[in-house]
Amino acid sequence: MNDMRILERDVDANAIKIAAKGVQVYYGDTHAIKDVDVDIQDKTVTAFIGPSGCGKSTFLRCLNRMNDTIDVARVEGDIRIDGEDIYDKAVDPVQLRAKVGMVFQKPNPFPKSIFDNVAYGPRIHGLAKNKSDLDDIVERALRRAAIWNEVKDRLAAPGTGLSGGQQQRLCIARAVATEPEVLLMDEPCSALDPIATAQVEELIDELRQNYSVVIVTHSMQQAARVSQKTAFFHLGNLVEYGETGQIFTNPEDPRTESYITGRIG
Amino acid sequence: MALSLTGYVVLAVLVLTIAAFFAAKSKAKSTANGDVRLLHSLPNYYGYNAAMFTAVPALGIMLIWLLAQPMMIENSVFKLIPERIVEEGSSRGLVMSDVRRVAEGLDIAVAQGAITDTEADNIRSEARDIRALLGEVGVALGSDVEPEVLFAAQEYRTLSSVGAFWMAVVVLGVAFIGAAVSIVVSKADFRARNTVERGALALLILAASLAIMTTVGIVLSMLFESINFFRLHSWTDFFFGGSWAPNFRGDSDLSILPLLWGTLYISVIALLVAVPIGLFAAIYLSEYAGPKVRSAAKPLLEILAGIPTIVYGLFALLTVGPALVSIFGRGDQGLLGVEWMSGATAVLTAGLVMGIMLIPFVSSLSDDIINAVPQAMRDGSFGLGATQSETIRQVVLPAALPGIVGAVLLAASRAIGETMIVVLGAGAIAKFSLNPLEAMTTITTRIVSQLTGDTDFASPETLVAFALGLTLFVLTLGLNVLALYIVRKYREQYE
Amino acid sequence: MTDATTPSSVPAMTPLSGKGSLLVQDARTRKRNAAEKRFKAYGVVAISIGMLMLIILVFNIISRGTGAFQQTFVTLEVPLLAEKLDKKGNRDPNDLRKVSTFGYAPLLRTAFEDKIAQNGIETELSPKAMAGILSAGAPAQLRDFVLADPSMIGTTQQFEFLASSRVDGYLKGRVSRDSIANDKNISAEQLDFVDKLIEGGSIEKRFNLAFIIGADSSDARPEAAGMGVSMIGSFFMMLVVLALALPIGVAASIYLEEFAPKNWLTDIIEVNISNLAAVPSIVFGILGLAVFINYMHLPTSAPLVGGLVLTLMTLPTIIISTRASLKAVPPSIRDAALGVGASKMQSVFHHVLPLAAPGILTGTIIGLAQALGETAPLLLIGMVGFIASNPPDSIASGLLDPNSAMPAQIYEWAKRADPAFYERAWGGIIILLVFLITMNTIAVILRRRFERRW
Repeated sequence: MNDMRILERDVDANAIKIAAKGVQVYYGDTHAIKDVDVDIQDKTVTAFIGPSGCGKSTFLRCLNRMNDTIDVARVEGDIRIDGEDIYDKAVDPVQLRAKVGMVFQKPNPFPKSIFDNVAYGPRIHGLAKNKSDLDDIVERALRRAAIWNEVKDRLAAPGTGLSGGQQQRLCIARAVATEPEVLLMDEPCSALDPIATAQVEELIDELRQNYSVVIVTHSMQQAARVSQKTAFFHLGNLVEYGETGQIFTNPEDPRTESYITGRIG
Repeated sequence: MALSLTGYVVLAVLVLTIAAFFAAKSKAKSTANGDVRLLHSLPNYYGYNAAMFTAVPALGIMLIWLLAQPMMIENSVFKLIPERIVEEGSSRGLVMSDVRRVAEGLDIAVAQGAITDTEADNIRSEARDIRALLGEVGVALGSDVEPEVLFAAQEYRTLSSVGAFWMAVVVLGVAFIGAAVSIVVSKADFRARNTVERGALALLILAASLAIMTTVGIVLSMLFESINFFRLHSWTDFFFGGSWAPNFRGDSDLSILPLLWGTLYISVIALLVAVPIGLFAAIYLSEYAGPKVRSAAKPLLEILAGIPTIVYGLFALLTVGPALVSIFGRGDQGLLGVEWMSGATAVLTAGLVMGIMLIPFVSSLSDDIINAVPQAMRDGSFGLGATQSETIRQVVLPAALPGIVGAVLLAASRAIGETMIVVLGAGAIAKFSLNPLEAMTTITTRIVSQLTGDTDFASPETLVAFALGLTLFVLTLGLNVLALYIVRKYREQYE
Repeated sequence: MTDATTPSSVPAMTPLSGKGSLLVQDARTRKRNAAEKRFKAYGVVAISIGMLMLIILVFNIISRGTGAFQQTFVTLEVPLLAEKLDKKGNRDPNDLRKVSTFGYAPLLRTAFEDKIAQNGIETELSPKAMAGILSAGAPAQLRDFVLADPSMIGTTQQFEFLASSRVDGYLKGRVSRDSIANDKNISAEQLDFVDKLIEGGSIEKRFNLAFIIGADSSDARPEAAGMGVSMIGSFFMMLVVLALALPIGVAASIYLEEFAPKNWLTDIIEVNISNLAAVPSIVFGILGLAVFINYMHLPTSAPLVGGLVLTLMTLPTIIISTRASLKAVPPSIRDAALGVGASKMQSVFHHVLPLAAPGILTGTIIGLAQALGETAPLLLIGMVGFIASNPPDSIASGLLDPNSAMPAQIYEWAKRADPAFYERAWGGIIILLVFLITMNTIAVILRRRFERRW
């Protein structure tokens, strides 16, 4: 059933949320991202696909300046969110990351209670006026992440005690709780089993209603299932970017076709 | 004289060992008619095998003999000493050390030719002034020699030389038998290498178990003397008494509590200095500092850990102490114009300097522990828009907390057991006081002062040091075991 | 769907459109960034305090200790009068020996009287007070000279005497006319006299080799105290530690790392070793006192006993580092040796051990450096509290005769409560640190040179 979605996808032209132009990333001497231009739309799921080491995760981490935490990484070019250059000197990466949330490859709940995990973001950003407000935010986030029913009775239990799929949804809840405008997901399902993967994919589709979601995946099926737009990266280059249906059914670039048909990667 | 005999025996065993090595090697070769390939093992292994069987049992027996003989001789000699002398001379140990000293003096007198060997065995204190005689050969005695003590000393000499003679016979005999047997079995098909390797393995095991033997030695040596102490002094006073006032005429107050108070007070000050500084230094080095700063600052900090404690002791006594006095003391001439501190030695002096010493200890342990927190935790927090300090305070430190607690406990155990800084910087007055500017004393300082100088291993004032040592050992061991357990559990969590 | 919740039942979490521009920091972010700066500053402060302490310590040691390497000498022509030294005139060594150092003291007074007469120095000091600026050891120095060569009697010879510690302190700025107000050992007039002699070039401060190679002296003559004999004591202790701790430590590590089965016994040994490494050093001193001295009757104050105690202390360090270097040798090396038919023992001794040797050596040097600076256990086995005056004349005497060790000698000087001895203690620390720095540098170089990445 999921495969059918490619065809019935609504491809309405949403406003552009993130505009990247001429992005270069260097890790020390390695040129990891070469001159990438891409526009990411609001309320859309955009998938980055490509073989391992093609730079898709690196590019994703440019969008909320997570590369700042790596000493040797250097980013050039122009990335704008809502028209504002996020690499501008005046921009505080802390404020940026509150706006652009991120979910990581491996579930990484903090060694705290489930409640504290989700409440962490709202607390540091001062989103809750009082305790009951915070309770509401946590409950809403956990509901959005479709994990509320599973954990509502043990909010004080440590987040590390959950199963892998639950942990990842907890991390999504944690990211959602900060009320970001963009949600970056770096292979969110790679450490999960198929059932958990299905849960998370379902969730991503729902999140699209409110957020611009960018997901990096090495699974083409997953990209096909959840995304409306797809970007194919290869050796640090953005090879092709377009409607997901288009990319998977009728790619323009021979490299994209080779990858999709399993000849490279 | 006994020592020289021992020396000759060792020498003889070694010569025999070397001879056995070559004999067995050539024997093995000859059984193979000179064709080394026919041997089970390389020729040298036959040699090693013979050497091993010659030296190891013989020297082992010798070692045990040397350890056991003094005890057995003392037991039999002690029976010769009448109760009267023991009571006057206050204890068995003291009398026995007199006996040994007289025996030693007689040995020296014989060696120097002042008397003959037979004379030494037969003189009586009625006939000759033994004290003067021994004084002439350079052995000074504290009092005149009682006839019983002299007799015991002569018996001691006799038993020692008889013991030494039999030891030589037995040891050399064992060495000969070992050599002979191992040479005889050195034939081509003898599995020399396997035997040698089993022997080598046994030696390795022996070396590894030395660690346990050391611990057992520590515990036993302190336990025995502590038991002796508790026979002479009530244990309730030691553990629950309120004052420490050793008095070498006897009837002392020997309670550990005032010492423990001083020890803990100084340790707490040291930790108050070392933990925040060390922890923040570790946080800065592991989370903020670039590779350049890190590679320069870390070894520099660790130099502080490599400086011997005597240096810190001198630093406390001659630099920090006087500096503190010039701030808190000297009345109107002082910096604060107060007269709170009278001497350089004080709890604060020792605590501050010990804190400096512990900074690198805390920082390098915490650094390791903070680095063990997975990067994914930090990424998760940064990804939510947390600042670095929020990430550290709310994610990294809580995750590293058990490990840091372990590090602090290890540092505490260091502080409690530290000796030189407190010996030089803390003072010698045992008391309960909250004033950090006063001199106080610690367990380790008292151990040093009770065990140095002229000590009498029969008085509770000396023996108390062993009870203090045992308490110190148990205390630090407990802290260490707990800390190592916590740290190990912590590491497993992230592996 | 595993979750019963449907999107419609979830209150929408609309992104806050009024969140404001990224280019403008809101008040909360500013506050958080200020907190961030403060927190980072704490770290900088902590590091700076550590560095500052190191600098203060090093500065302190150098500024107070370098003085010990210089000493004040008084040059004096002393007439070796025959009527005082050899009344019988027969130069018989036995008769000469009967003249004690008291007999030589008048010669020094005469020498000073000659000196002021020659140089025209005016002073109200008695000849005895003039001679008081010399070390108390000066007559003994004269006597030794005469006994070594009786033919010198009757001549006038030029001598260089150590100045007394107060005069030495005066030249080094430690002693001033104010500080000696209550000092019975020296008077302001004597200092005036010293000033005049300095002008005349008879008193000067020079490098003092005797401090490095000489022996300790009695309480009254700090100017003559040296580190040399205690250095020899330390050397013999290190010899014992090296001879015992290295083979035993390596053997124990080989067993634990290569042969030991995983069972409770090995576990106990391992826990034991890591705990032994953290046992206070003073406890090892108690062990040494109880076992080596009280039970085995080994000689008190002997470097052999010190070495044994330090061996037990150093073993855990050596075992821990040796095991780390054995662990670093990849299993493939062992497999390769076993594969060509070597026994397990052969594979370890022929292949693994040589490859691990640099690491073992580094660990051993670091362990030795630790042992070299250790003081507390030495106090209990009697390596302080006496004057280490005679250098040993053989290996046996080096091991068995009472001696001191460098840190124990420093402690001994620190206890004597005389600023002149304090200076020597700081100087001793410089010597000790030079040894430690050399050893650690060698260890670092070895590690860099032979470090192998598999």
